[in-house]
Amino acid sequence: MPFSQYFRLIDVMARMALRADATRFFLGYVWWVLEPLLWVGVFYVVFVLILAAQEPDFLVFLMTGKLVFVWFSKSVTQASSSIVSSKGLVGKINVPKTLFPMAVVQEGLYRQIAVFALLFSFLLSTGHAVTSTWWYLVPVIIVTYVVIVACAFVGACLVCLARDFIQLISLGMLFLMFTSGIFWDVRSLSDPDKIAMVMAMNPLAFIVDCYRQIMMHNTPPDMLHLLTIGAGFGALLCAMVLLMRHKSQYLALRALTA
Amino acid sequence: MSDNKKRVMIELDNVSLSYHSRKKTFDHGTHHVLNQVSMKLYEGETLGIIGRNGVGKTTLLQLMAGILAPTHGEVRVHPGKSASLLTLGLGFKPDLSGRDNALLAAMLQGATRKRAESFLNDIAEFSELGDSFNEPVKKYSAGMRSRLAFTTALLTHVDVLLIDEVLSVGDAHFRGKAQAAMANRVQGEQTVVFVSHMADQVKQMCNRVIWLDEGRIAAVGDAAEVVDAYTQYVTQARADGSLQQTNAFQQQLEAKLLADPQLQAAFKQQFEATQKAEAQQQADTKQ
Repeated sequence: MPFSQYFRLIDVMARMALRADATRFFLGYVWWVLEPLLWVGVFYVVFVLILAAQEPDFLVFLMTGKLVFVWFSKSVTQASSSIVSSKGLVGKINVPKTLFPMAVVQEGLYRQIAVFALLFSFLLSTGHAVTSTWWYLVPVIIVTYVVIVACAFVGACLVCLARDFIQLISLGMLFLMFTSGIFWDVRSLSDPDKIAMVMAMNPLAFIVDCYRQIMMHNTPPDMLHLLTIGAGFGALLCAMVLLMRHKSQYLALRALTA
Repeated sequence: MSDNKKRVMIELDNVSLSYHSRKKTFDHGTHHVLNQVSMKLYEGETLGIIGRNGVGKTTLLQLMAGILAPTHGEVRVHPGKSASLLTLGLGFKPDLSGRDNALLAAMLQGATRKRAESFLNDIAEFSELGDSFNEPVKKYSAGMRSRLAFTTALLTHVDVLLIDEVLSVGDAHFRGKAQAAMANRVQGEQTVVFVSHMADQVKQMCNRVIWLDEGRIAAVGDAAEVVDAYTQYVTQARADGSLQQTNAFQQQLEAKLLADPQLQAAFKQQFEATQKAEAQQQADTKQ
């Protein structure tokens, strides 16, 4: 399949999935903005009204972390079961198997545009100004995307091998949510070695922190660390593409028979 | 014309396919679908494949289309030739409209977006879906689905067309129309592999027939001869009750399908449609 056809297909599949999703619900496209808005509402009730968080900006802190994390977790979880849930197509057409997780990731990207728009307007309305530091968001978003695609490919292959991985992946997402500092600040740990360790061990914790540093504190991220993550996951991504191309028929057999 | 003079489009050399099933329902958890099958497909011919349910007919097509790879043996496709499998359902996405599904199917088979879009009017017209073409496929009846699947299939142009039971459902009117369109295509230069349960249809449309049984080739040769032998065998087997084994296997397969909620709906619809088609065929034969 030529490159241009591959990317056009991903785009068409993602748009169609979005349209199908919109027709399934009464409120349709409104859910794109409504869902993150409801998240904010829940956070507000729990952390501001009930727990009476002392820290100023805690709501912004939570939203930045949670909305970035949901982009990752939703895309990877859904992409993981994308090959087996497209059994019908997999059994009929010999197409690159990366197409299915890629279409899901692309769908997530289109949704995330709406989410980021909401996040930015929320930040602006709470007195955070857009500065030139925000340009650092471009590499951060690109690295996030590369991490998502690489993890989506790994997940999709694992689920082809055994459906049981669906359970492990959702558990893994919960584990990642607690260890990536979504509800707490990694930088608030008392031991600086521990901070460094969490950031080094968990790329997601570092990425989430990057978004916060840029948007809330106007601080550029550690570019070397960011590029290392990008290069590492980029290499994983390439390896997965080669593997999935080489094992295309095997993955189809597993998806059809397991 | 001798077969030797024609170009071989696809060749299967001693091909076996087996896989491990998690549930130990088969031979030590290994399910042998095809066992040392060798065959050649020549350019321009229409090859029929007949056999009971679950003997590996669809798997054979999937191997030819390159969707699956053999466990042993080799599948050789003539360089530069594409083979495409067309089958009922085409993996429809139920939430999408018939139009979107047709567009996606055409694009997945290699058509550019523009080209795929240019097919859409023809597809809408031939399938006689009318306004329903823009409705989600989940609202379609089994007949409407098969009409959409067949029409989308008909308009795809590939070197080798692998057809899996596409003509077996739909009402009498559409079946007649579909068969005529297919015959038109088959008579041309198109190389076709055609899987069907319907003996008469296979006899009518194919030059050569392969009879597949228990994952092996039971007979291969002239369409009329092989189909007659097969029909006789099935009648005999039914009388002997030796089909019981097949029925047990079929029940297992059905149980597996019904355990999967996604497949359940699709399976039920296809089952009903097949039943309806069989009744229709019986009525036709009586007439």
